[in-house]
Amino acid sequence: MLEYIQFVLAPQVVTGLALGVAVILVALGLTIIFGLLDVINMSHGEFYAMGAFIALALGQVGLPFWALLIAVPLLMLPIGYVVERGLIQRVFNSPDRHVTTLLLTFGFGLVLEDGLRLIFGPNPHRPETPIPGAIEILGTYLPLYRLFMVGFGGLLILATALIVYRTRLGAMVRAAAFDRNMAASLGVPVEKVYAGAFAFGVALAGIAGVLLAPIYSVFPTMGRDFILLAFTVIIVGGMGSIGGATIAGLFLTQVQAISSLYISPVWADPIVFAIMVIMLVVRPRGLKGRLGHA
Amino acid sequence: MHDALTLDARANHWLALALGLACIGTACIGYAIGDTFYLRLATEALIFGGLALAVDILLGYTGLLSLGQALYFGLGAYVSAVTLIAFPSFWTAMGAALATGLFGGLIGGLIANRVRGVYFALITFGMAQVAAKAIYNTRSLGASDGLIGVPVLDVNLGIVTVSTASPVGFFLLALGVVTLLYALCSYLMDTPFGRLLIAIRTNEARVPFLGFRTTTLRLGSFVLASCVASLSGALYPMLRGFVSPELLFFSTSGNAVITVILGGVGTLVGALYGSIIFTIVKSVIGSWTEHHLIVIGILFMAVVIFLPKGLMGLAQPLMRRMVHRGKP
Repeated sequence: MLEYIQFVLAPQVVTGLALGVAVILVALGLTIIFGLLDVINMSHGEFYAMGAFIALALGQVGLPFWALLIAVPLLMLPIGYVVERGLIQRVFNSPDRHVTTLLLTFGFGLVLEDGLRLIFGPNPHRPETPIPGAIEILGTYLPLYRLFMVGFGGLLILATALIVYRTRLGAMVRAAAFDRNMAASLGVPVEKVYAGAFAFGVALAGIAGVLLAPIYSVFPTMGRDFILLAFTVIIVGGMGSIGGATIAGLFLTQVQAISSLYISPVWADPIVFAIMVIMLVVRPRGLKGRLGHA
Repeated sequence: MHDALTLDARANHWLALALGLACIGTACIGYAIGDTFYLRLATEALIFGGLALAVDILLGYTGLLSLGQALYFGLGAYVSAVTLIAFPSFWTAMGAALATGLFGGLIGGLIANRVRGVYFALITFGMAQVAAKAIYNTRSLGASDGLIGVPVLDVNLGIVTVSTASPVGFFLLALGVVTLLYALCSYLMDTPFGRLLIAIRTNEARVPFLGFRTTTLRLGSFVLASCVASLSGALYPMLRGFVSPELLFFSTSGNAVITVILGGVGTLVGALYGSIIFTIVKSVIGSWTEHHLIVIGILFMAVVIFLPKGLMGLAQPLMRRMVHRGKP
């Protein structure tokens, strides 16, 4: 029994955690964008792929891994800002914002995905693991890089929550999410907050791409497979909730990791999806309330 | 006395008639010059037009964006292929596909209709994705390679017998099926049922006050859409001789939504026009470059931004004037 925990269960839990923090980073971006702008960003998975590809390109130039973790989000912030101002704002005030923005970002996702294929080719790339080796904790060997991911990702999630709930900037974001017009009349630069939050979400997805690139391969359609899990996480967690996305992200990736020990990993996805369906039936609003509303 | 919606629907019938005549014209020319490729492509456009009809019922009438309509299209195609391999009969295959659409639509509708708006879009997306993955990994259904070896059929239509191997014959058969689906949908949308769906799109909260159950109506429109998608999908293996999991992928659902937006949401006939134009654009660009997704993505964004009512949004004012002139 002890051996089972040491050699099977514990490594699987850590693997699940590493995937979990990456999913949460992607989901946080989605959920903040939805909570604030009321926009479902269908191109979010492609931004995640973009982060991985930028890291790949910069890594080949010779930038060390820690520099990538700073450079990629810094590069993606202006991209996100421009996309929000130039594309989303164009249809933002149309009568059916949910549908039009969803379709627009979906189209943009197609362009991004094929653009990545045009530049980098369709074949998967696999960057080297930046932190090789493993460490023994209580008789369990755990890969160092996954532990680093859990730690670094955890810090980022915490920092995001602190920014949103404990800073003046975060107060502006929450105010704009609660009542756009009221926030604007009190002097919150709502349009900049919108674009900034979108850029922030996109940068988080980019970091998730950098972190996961050495574990999974980097290929143009990588965002597509990943985005369903991120959507499941924000639905279970409650659309527009940071705390909810974190809890749901940890829970669902653990369900996926542990259930794939007993059944074929192929069928782990339907189980995660079934949890989402049950959640929608029992509590359609999700675990937690929306940004700025609770 | 007819209201504006009925008159609009009549205007659309004229456009549908024009499309049907153009198709028959294409069939004649294709038959005369002995073409295969373009007739097969046109048949495919009609089949995907049927899928777009299903998306338009949900999006244009009930106001629900389905991002997973390919689920029913793909299931219809798979059921049809399996049936044809076991028992090569057109009517059995179509019947099996209809049963799949009814049954699958009921199950999917009961799940998806618990939620609205973006949640509905995401849950339909999720259902299709999970089903696609399941089929992709099921060895007995050919896994990632799909099912091949769907036999050539002789379809007995009572008066004539059409072989699916004949490009022009099968094109006309597909035209017949899609026309029937269009006629059924536009008839239903002109009944009180259809008007209630429009009422749901406009203001769902008020419909119960008029004494109608919105859950039943939404489920009805979902099942109708899944049956239309499933029946269109059933034609696919007869055309191509195989089915692959790609039919259930998000790209298929997404293309159907693009088609509807391009043609014009809530017009039904726009879905068919959109599908033909989309298929032409895709095939023309595909012959230039393998990166056709960039062009399609840009086209899609341009339509959403600059032409939110689609092509029918351009044609409809003209048609409306034409039809209204004759009626008081």
